[in-house]
Amino acid sequence: MRQLRPVNARSGRRSREGPIVNRWALLAILPIAFLGAFFLVPLVVVSLRSVTDFAKPTGDAFANYGRFFASAANLRVLGNTFWVATLSTVVCLALGYPYAYLMNIVRPRVAGLLLIAVLLPFWSSLLVRTYAWQVILRDTGIINTFLLDSKVVDEPIPLIRTTLGVMLGMSQILLPFMVLPIYAVMRRIDPEYTKAAANLGAPPFAAFRRVFLPLSLPGVLAGTLLVFVLALGFYITPALLGSPKDTMISQFIASAVQQRLDWGIGSTMAVILMGLTFAVLVIASRFIRLRDAFGSLEES
Amino acid sequence: MTSWRRLSPLIAAGVSLVAACGGGASLSPTVGPPESTAPESAAPTMAPMADICTNPPKAAGTTLTFASYGGAYQEAQRKGWLEPYAALTGVTFQESEDSSNATIKAQVEAGQVTWDIVDVGNDFGLDAQADILEPIDYTMVPKDEILDGFAGTYRVADITYGVVLGYNTEKTAGQVPEGWADFFDTTKFPGKRGFWDYSAGGIFEFALLADGVAPKDLYPLDLPRATTKLDTIKNDIVFWGSGAESQDLLGKGEVAMAMIWNGRAYSAKNIDKKPVAIQWNQQIVTADYFVVPKGTPNKDAAMAFIGWASCKENNAAPSKYIPYGPTNKLATADPSKVAELSVSNINDTTAYFDDTWVVENAQLLEDAYQEWKTR
Repeated sequence: MRQLRPVNARSGRRSREGPIVNRWALLAILPIAFLGAFFLVPLVVVSLRSVTDFAKPTGDAFANYGRFFASAANLRVLGNTFWVATLSTVVCLALGYPYAYLMNIVRPRVAGLLLIAVLLPFWSSLLVRTYAWQVILRDTGIINTFLLDSKVVDEPIPLIRTTLGVMLGMSQILLPFMVLPIYAVMRRIDPEYTKAAANLGAPPFAAFRRVFLPLSLPGVLAGTLLVFVLALGFYITPALLGSPKDTMISQFIASAVQQRLDWGIGSTMAVILMGLTFAVLVIASRFIRLRDAFGSLEES
Repeated sequence: MTSWRRLSPLIAAGVSLVAACGGGASLSPTVGPPESTAPESAAPTMAPMADICTNPPKAAGTTLTFASYGGAYQEAQRKGWLEPYAALTGVTFQESEDSSNATIKAQVEAGQVTWDIVDVGNDFGLDAQADILEPIDYTMVPKDEILDGFAGTYRVADITYGVVLGYNTEKTAGQVPEGWADFFDTTKFPGKRGFWDYSAGGIFEFALLADGVAPKDLYPLDLPRATTKLDTIKNDIVFWGSGAESQDLLGKGEVAMAMIWNGRAYSAKNIDKKPVAIQWNQQIVTADYFVVPKGTPNKDAAMAFIGWASCKENNAAPSKYIPYGPTNKLATADPSKVAELSVSNINDTTAYFDDTWVVENAQLLEDAYQEWKTR
């Protein structure tokens, strides 16, 4: 374990009579208390509910888990959840990497505009944006009305209630989480490296592939992980834009909690989703130094 | 250990973001059906009953919190009941427009009951919720006058409505679907079909009615038969999550026909001015119910209000503003809406939910539904 360092750790001397921990660190008590009260405690309560709250009396503490895994629909939807999350991560990466690259090579003023463009979606609520996609994609929506009126098609083309609809809605919301970590890492790459590669005879693409791309990978991995984990918890977007085949586990949790008041099975599904998300993080941490990847955000 | 430490910054970031993304619109709840619980013996008729109807107890200084489903619906309840009652008794009403079974449960479990009177759907207020609801005080509520099966131990129906077959007359090109068999016939009536995305909302019942099951033989539901029938139009089904959505889909003609609450079909036709009509055959007549969360400090005042609103003089008042109600057999609905009411259109094809069966088998229904839907 790392030792807590004195304030002027950089100089290698302990500050005279100084506290072991920076006094400013005390400011963290409030947020920590907040997280404890409003995140940790509920988390524990939910976890406990999954092994204590049963629809029918039972002696088996894991009865809810048994119930969950006994249903083919649950497993299918769990699979859907990971599939949709994977798909949206791929879409975000395909869009986000070139975008971040562009931001990195243009003049700072243009880069600023590009940054604003990618952050724009943050300025309106997720729900509003999702309904906006409905207006655009539905059978009587903007695209289909245009296509029908201009006689390009006779029947509305299926846009809403498709996986395509879900991808559009989710990638728009998730794109910033891909672009920002990648951009932050790219900014730290010394442009001289690529120039040096060119000087030594590398064609532009080789210089990119052998020098720039490997150096930007920490950002890619960070963005990928962040987007994937966020996508796992999506709920309203697939519900409004997707087909039943795009149903995600969060929708089942909502239905159990709100409609059937079966909080035991709802908690169980939440714990399973959390456990699997955690597993993804643990596995990822074997390959990525998460601290570096996310620490880099602070510099941007 | 190290890997956990390395995870921590990500977890912190993830947690806050997941929290930000997690919020969703709650699906709009229901309204519902008659209770199949054994009828209880008539409440002793007490002198105060007549008093409550015309001269409810004065209670200036009392604040009652009334939770319902918002929109035109709650507005009708406000104008029909809350405002006159406040004027009569001096009670002050606070309103909440997000009635939810889960909120009632959460308030009671936390010992922080802030809702006094809640309008809930037909899937709530049965014996399964005995722990979280106050029994209705039938010394103040005229149980004998309430429609048979609509007054239970923990709930009394305040508004009746129908789950009906609504159709877009432009999409059906002047043909009239006669019932749910036509709903399932996409050759005769091309176009998409709207169903509420809820296992206990009526989708199985309507599939069975379409397949020829008599209304009285619906329960216990034959789920394999229902899902087989639903499979025949599965690719044409559009699932809706809220009443507003059903009204919109049917009004715009995105679906040719929809399972819809009769008030929403009425609004599509009369407020949105869309070509929408109702086929009353094989409707399911059901109700919304008043319940009182257990532990409210205003229990008696809440019961007095429920008693007053259930009286024949007052029970039909919201029907002036919305085609819902009444539940009191002796109440007279507003003449402007009487033809549009579910209870005015009861015939020998009319069906009712068996709420007790549905609630007891909620998990079975949900599993069968999701298994079919996500297949």
